[in-house]
Amino acid sequence: MPEGQILKGYIIPGMPHVMLPRETASRRELREACRVAGANVQEARPDALVIFSTQWVSVLGHLVQARPNPMGLHVDENWYDLGDLPYSFRTDLELAQKTIDLGIAAGLQVRPVDYEGFPVDTGTLVALNFLDPKNEIPVVCISCNIYAGREEELKLGKAAADAVRALGRRAVMVASTGLSGHYFTREISDDEDRIVSDADDLENRKLLDLMASGKCVEAMDLVPDYAAKTGADMQFKSYYWMMGALGPSRVRGKVLGYGSIWGSGAAVVEFVT
Amino acid sequence: MAGKGSIVCGFIAPHPPHLVYGENPPQNVPRSSGGWEVLRWAYDNCREKIKQLKPDVIVVHTPHWMTLVGHHVTRVPRLKGLSVDPIFPHLFRYQFDTAIDIELADAVYDEARAEGLIARKMTNPNFRLDYGTIVTSHMLNPGWDIPILSLSANNSPYYFSLGVGIEEMYKLGRATRRAIEKTGRRAVLAASNTLSHFHFDREPDPNLPEDMSKEHVFSHANYLWDMRVLTLMREGRMDELLAVLPEFIEKTGAEVKSGGLFWMLAAMGFPKIPARVHGYWSVIATGNAVVEWDLSAQSIGAGAQAHA
Repeated sequence: MPEGQILKGYIIPGMPHVMLPRETASRRELREACRVAGANVQEARPDALVIFSTQWVSVLGHLVQARPNPMGLHVDENWYDLGDLPYSFRTDLELAQKTIDLGIAAGLQVRPVDYEGFPVDTGTLVALNFLDPKNEIPVVCISCNIYAGREEELKLGKAAADAVRALGRRAVMVASTGLSGHYFTREISDDEDRIVSDADDLENRKLLDLMASGKCVEAMDLVPDYAAKTGADMQFKSYYWMMGALGPSRVRGKVLGYGSIWGSGAAVVEFVT
Repeated sequence: MAGKGSIVCGFIAPHPPHLVYGENPPQNVPRSSGGWEVLRWAYDNCREKIKQLKPDVIVVHTPHWMTLVGHHVTRVPRLKGLSVDPIFPHLFRYQFDTAIDIELADAVYDEARAEGLIARKMTNPNFRLDYGTIVTSHMLNPGWDIPILSLSANNSPYYFSLGVGIEEMYKLGRATRRAIEKTGRRAVLAASNTLSHFHFDREPDPNLPEDMSKEHVFSHANYLWDMRVLTLMREGRMDELLAVLPEFIEKTGAEVKSGGLFWMLAAMGFPKIPARVHGYWSVIATGNAVVEWDLSAQSIGAGAQAHA
């Protein structure tokens, strides 16, 4: 079996506003950036997408989707008025199990879930909608443990990448996450949408600049301070996972788009080695 | 229906899916050999009480429908589907089917806005009720023959501060009470909350979750805190209870932070009557109590002004 390869990594915003029919200048930029990411993924022709979503929250360790063909209709608990999210995709069961095995070997609590009707989260579905709209590429879905920190997520990312290599897959790694987490707590019109504060905007740009200049280790070191200042989406721990998978010293980010979703920060970032 | 409705009863009604799992109702797929009987027997008392009271509606405030923008109310006539617990899917895969009191939903929405709160009506018929609403509703009324109304937990206690969150819940409580009165409902309220909320970071035995030899409260300190607040409830010492709840939340991670208890107490007018503690036990180390305030023999609202 040939050794597998991580082709690329992506940060994709997981809020449904970016895919469901709402038009603002900011979201249009994000939407177009997501489409560019999708086109690039299709061109790379990966064997698998490995998605870590901050909206799949787990409490007792990490969970990995192990149902062969998750299908159903998802309605977001906050943004139900934007529309429904029907889904049907295939899981790369072998890669999912290998990720679990290597995660456990690394000392993590990782479990499979294989249940009809198990809720698939909005963030996973938004990422899939853009990166593989026809659901042709097998997927591994990974939860975000609310208690996990940097070391655990680095280990889990590495476990996923090692699983890819061990099984000879060509895979794209995806972190479905927002950036700054402060948002408007009131009703806003679409035209009002912007990052809620200049401070959050500044911190987002600082972090993205580090990624874009290849300083991904520095970006990782900045995350605790960044998360504290901006209320970042799940402490931006998905970035640790991504760096665990890609190796922070070997990658450079390319910011395909940046903007706001209901006041929070969102970006589409492509990582290449 | 219109006229002077009333809140006839309020329950702290915790929602660990383990309680449904332990009961083995036909709606739930996983099977157990029992477990958590003390809490389930406590709920038996509530079921009997609800049968006697014959309420028009059960209003549930749930921490597992966490909303970012305002307070949301379920506003579709009927919701049904399969609910799979995202944390304990091996315990809870439940077919739910319930009527929603949409007239009361509209009234709560209107009154909440009159209080200056942001409110939304959830009108998507494909919406999946959260497991907090479902477990609490099942444990209070497994026949589902009484309409429910589910209220979301706005995350203001976490996003802003506990103080801001409490203030919002007092407003929502007042709004709920007025909505019940104006629509003429006889309503039961349910605060779907545990008490102390520190928990094991893994199941002691995933292959036998109902092994009660492995079940205990997280710490003696948490236990003492739970007993302290339950004692205040049992003795009707409402002012002291309200004063101590912030520290209780800070020390034990109590789930009441999400607002349900504050909402219910405000709606009931902060009753200074002894509450009845039907039972207390731990579920995966969290402290859970089933507690009842019986208002059926008295008017509500007498103490509302003191804290509102």
